[in-house]
Amino acid sequence: MTTMRFPWRRVIWIAVLLCAWAPFKLVWEEGIEQQQNLLRYHGVAMTRQLRDQLTQGLTIGVLAGMRNVVADFVWLDVTVAWEKYEWFKMDSLINLCTSLEPRSIIFWDNGGWQLAWNVSVAATEDVVRQPNPLRRLHDSRFWIFKGLDVYKRGIENNPQSYKLWESTGELYQNRLADYRNAAICYQRASELPGAPVYLERFSAYMLEDAHDDAGAYAAWKALWYRLTPAQREEKQHWKEKIMSSIRKLENKLNIPREKRVFPN
Amino acid sequence: MIGSLQRIIIIARNTLTEAVRQKVLTVLLLFGVVMICTSSFFSQVVIDQQIKFVKDFGCGAIGLIGLFIAILSTAQLLPQELHNRTIYTILAKPVRRAEFLFGKFLGVVLLLALSVALMSLAFAATLWWQESQGIAATKATYAANPHWESIPDQVSAYHHDVDAIVTQAEDPQLVEAILLLFAKLVMSSAIALVISTFSTSFIFTVITTSMIYLVGHLESTARDVWLQGGAQVSFLQSGFLEILSLLVPDMNSFTIVDEILDGHAVPWWHTLNLVGYAAVYTFVLLALSELIFRNREI
Repeated sequence: MTTMRFPWRRVIWIAVLLCAWAPFKLVWEEGIEQQQNLLRYHGVAMTRQLRDQLTQGLTIGVLAGMRNVVADFVWLDVTVAWEKYEWFKMDSLINLCTSLEPRSIIFWDNGGWQLAWNVSVAATEDVVRQPNPLRRLHDSRFWIFKGLDVYKRGIENNPQSYKLWESTGELYQNRLADYRNAAICYQRASELPGAPVYLERFSAYMLEDAHDDAGAYAAWKALWYRLTPAQREEKQHWKEKIMSSIRKLENKLNIPREKRVFPN
Repeated sequence: MIGSLQRIIIIARNTLTEAVRQKVLTVLLLFGVVMICTSSFFSQVVIDQQIKFVKDFGCGAIGLIGLFIAILSTAQLLPQELHNRTIYTILAKPVRRAEFLFGKFLGVVLLLALSVALMSLAFAATLWWQESQGIAATKATYAANPHWESIPDQVSAYHHDVDAIVTQAEDPQLVEAILLLFAKLVMSSAIALVISTFSTSFIFTVITTSMIYLVGHLESTARDVWLQGGAQVSFLQSGFLEILSLLVPDMNSFTIVDEILDGHAVPWWHTLNLVGYAAVYTFVLLALSELIFRNREI
């Protein structure tokens, strides 16, 4: 009869290997986490609140590292909710999507647009569900501010996104007629990387609409001096618009001839 | 040393050939390619998000199907050899157990590389198609105004929109994303190998590896609670979290792929750090599996 010997030597080797690796692993992982936090890749923590909002299948999807796909599928429900007039559900689903992917500009941008434009306009026109026109107006404003809130939270999570600043500017301009805040948003948008060149002029236009002639004049002048002669020639249509705006405001503000950009 | 390397390569080649001939893995791979290609049709319902959807779905499919291939192919490596009794013939020759094990693992890594490469090709083709569709749709929108090409601001806005589509679709960082997914798959495969060296059941290996994979995504949370939990965490809880944090790999770090898919810049040094982590972890797991397999009764 043979007796099996317990493989002590092997167990000791395994223990040594694991003991040697474990602290090294811990330090390395902590380093990676710190790097990711520094680079603003916070990801998403599976909180109880988030878990309660997701179905079991979607939770497993998130835990399996398929957060983006889960968020995309949740987003499909936003469209379904919109078609069914379930606006509060839309709001909740948009919040869920942005919680799952706080760094996705598309979700913040489209989410804000859905609430501040689509839902808000639908609330204004929904005579069947809300016959009271004042109430409809109130509802419309409510959804505009809901959309604005989505944009603002989006900017908090993605301060370098020109797109969200631009969309917020458009919202202030077209839905709230708040041109001063629109000017601030367009200005911030134009300073960020990747911003389209036309945004540089929008801030000055908004200040004109806000009847802040002095502010608009300063903005046009700054833009004029920022452009090099070569750029002025290249953007001929711009040049004419900027020149005419400056001339118009110089006359309106009675700027002394010697202080004018275009004295003649 | 060279002889040993040659034996490992021969075993790896055979493992790859056997794996490629298996219908299950071929069907899985085919399913992955179909999933990626059809993501383009699903995405039609999402206005303005087509390319994002294709990117998310494509990388998701590579990760998921790759995981199935990694776990299933590794889990059956040893049981199949034992069942067919081919392991006795191989080990009767001058082949060390370590060489046999590493050769088998290398075969799975090659299979994974092949699968990921094929799915990536399908992904690139789908993205290219979606990009051309997006550009055509943008042009059609601007063409609603027949004089748009004579309006400089419209032309500028059109070029900006097209550039945005091209930047999103032809993002060179997608290479980093695929590399990270591959590294994660190799690590998952190594976990399956360790379990299969002491497990006697294929199902046990598959289920346990899947569980470790899922728990791996919560390892960073467990580590944070263990290290910063303070008095709120009991001694027993702390002990459990400590074991979890020290043994289970941090899979959650690899979700940085999501940031790449969202279009945020991830520096190469960070990607390489993660790939290095996966490589060292895989090496440790291989050493562990060799230690366990060395004295296993066959």
